[in-house]
Amino acid sequence: MILGIETSCDETAAAIVKNGREVISNVINSQISIHQQFGGVVPEVASRKHIENIAWVVDAAFKDAALNYQDIDAVAVTNMPGLIGALLVGLSFAKAFAYGLGKPLIAVNHLEGHIYANFLEHKDIEFPAICLVVSGGHTSLLYMKNAGESEVIGETRDDAAGEAFDKVARFLGLGYPGGPAIQKAAQMGQPGIYKLPRVFLDRNEYEFSFSGLKTAAMNLWMKSLRRGENNVENMAAEFQAALVEILVEKTISAALHYKAGTVLLAGGVAANQALRETMARRAQNEGLKLYYPSLKLCTDNAAMIAGRAYYDYYNRNFSPLNINAHPNLFSV
Amino acid sequence: MYILAIDSATPVAGVALVKDSTLLAERFLNFKKTHSETLMSMVDQVLGECEITVQDLTAIAVTIGPGSFTGLRIGLAAAKGLSLAADRPLVGISTLEVMAHNIVFSDSMICPLLDARKQEVYTAFFDVTGIYPQRLTEDMACSPAEMIERVLTQAEISCQNKITLLGDGYAPYADFFKERLQGRLLVPPAHLMLPRAAALGSLACLRARQEDYNNAFYLRPVYVRLSEAEHRLGKGEL
Ligand SMILES: [Zn+2]
Repeated sequence: MILGIETSCDETAAAIVKNGREVISNVINSQISIHQQFGGVVPEVASRKHIENIAWVVDAAFKDAALNYQDIDAVAVTNMPGLIGALLVGLSFAKAFAYGLGKPLIAVNHLEGHIYANFLEHKDIEFPAICLVVSGGHTSLLYMKNAGESEVIGETRDDAAGEAFDKVARFLGLGYPGGPAIQKAAQMGQPGIYKLPRVFLDRNEYEFSFSGLKTAAMNLWMKSLRRGENNVENMAAEFQAALVEILVEKTISAALHYKAGTVLLAGGVAANQALRETMARRAQNEGLKLYYPSLKLCTDNAAMIAGRAYYDYYNRNFSPLNINAHPNLFSV
Repeated sequence: MYILAIDSATPVAGVALVKDSTLLAERFLNFKKTHSETLMSMVDQVLGECEITVQDLTAIAVTIGPGSFTGLRIGLAAAKGLSLAADRPLVGISTLEVMAHNIVFSDSMICPLLDARKQEVYTAFFDVTGIYPQRLTEDMACSPAEMIERVLTQAEISCQNKITLLGDGYAPYADFFKERLQGRLLVPPAHLMLPRAAALGSLACLRARQEDYNNAFYLRPVYVRLSEAEHRLGKGEL
């Protein structure tokens, strides 16, 4: 029985997971409504909300599970990557909580947590696999030899996919968070009426770049506004289609190149319907098996952190009291 | 009665254990290693060396601000984690009051200063003629010049001639303070200049004896300042 704590961005979350598989409780306190007024996540505001919420959220995870604090075997917490001030709230609390209970501490990489969300719901995943992690903070392609061993084969050079969604949504006046806003607008529009380039970097096959696409979308939108056209739904549909195509084609070609029979989607942007559908169609064409987490486990949550920590618990791979938080990714 | 005192509000990280009115152990570190790495290890050392477990504690004391926003949260998050796990109450105390407690039985007015960046200091004024500091003003953020105006006014009201300045907000503006206060200025030596967990523990003992506790669910940092984004939103710039 492992308690997970997650505060890397704008969700204060705690969850209890049994044997790395069974989600006993999963509490998420979202700050979206607070950050909406700023048009995006403000790190200092997020950290301030985390310190106010943390005790409530952790306690609620125990109440929902009908467990006492002493009933858990370990405390798992995200220590990288993420907003440093936000990470430090969860990490400092987790260290002291584990110490006070006399239980081991397990620091978890947020990205590995996202990937692990798949294993909480699907029991029959075969390896090797290619995993695409897409969210507001990251766009990474990983080769997974098995559930415990993975290697980053490509990342974004500039904006993360979710970040590109946020910026373009803001530019188009669709609001925050951008992913759901663009998806909603795109459902009423049609791709192909506006034409955006598909930027496939040629030199390094599995690296991504979205800032060019973002700029192209903004320029095209300004130009069409000057012509008196302003179909925001068609623009959203084309932007989403272009971004999805890049993500899908890179992922599929990596799976073929690495001879992986399985494709995993993870992270907040994995909740995007167009991405799920396009990836499913392409995976089926190529004879690949595709898995993605349910919507609730795609976005940031602590169940994925507690789940991922099970491996470390099993291997007695505990973290010392002086472990620190890191804003960036060192290794996965 | 055992009080564990935790302070990471400023560049100093401090942990102390006080039993009734006796200081049993204190760790003080004013070096650039991050509080996130050092603080809980210091807690473990202090408790371990005194053969005390968290279950033996009466309460956990913590400095709640002003100070570095991140530092305050590291200390308070640690205090909350211990409080919940051990089911012991918290005592949250102003960083400036803890600093004022470095000085006792003095006729001078005590003005702890914390470097608040942006050409400002965090400060509040205290009377320490007795053993415990008596607060004369609320915590505030202001420029050194404004602070001097206020301190001179306050000194007149409370009939105090000498003015003691301490804290990491002193050195950056030392020349200015010397020029403005001249012979009225008193500055303590190095060991009384910065927040001490021992002083926090001492103040917390008083609060614990009155059973004047804080709840881990509700206690929040006292930032004194809004975040930059909230400030800009308030001014209509966002
Ligand atoms: Zn995430």
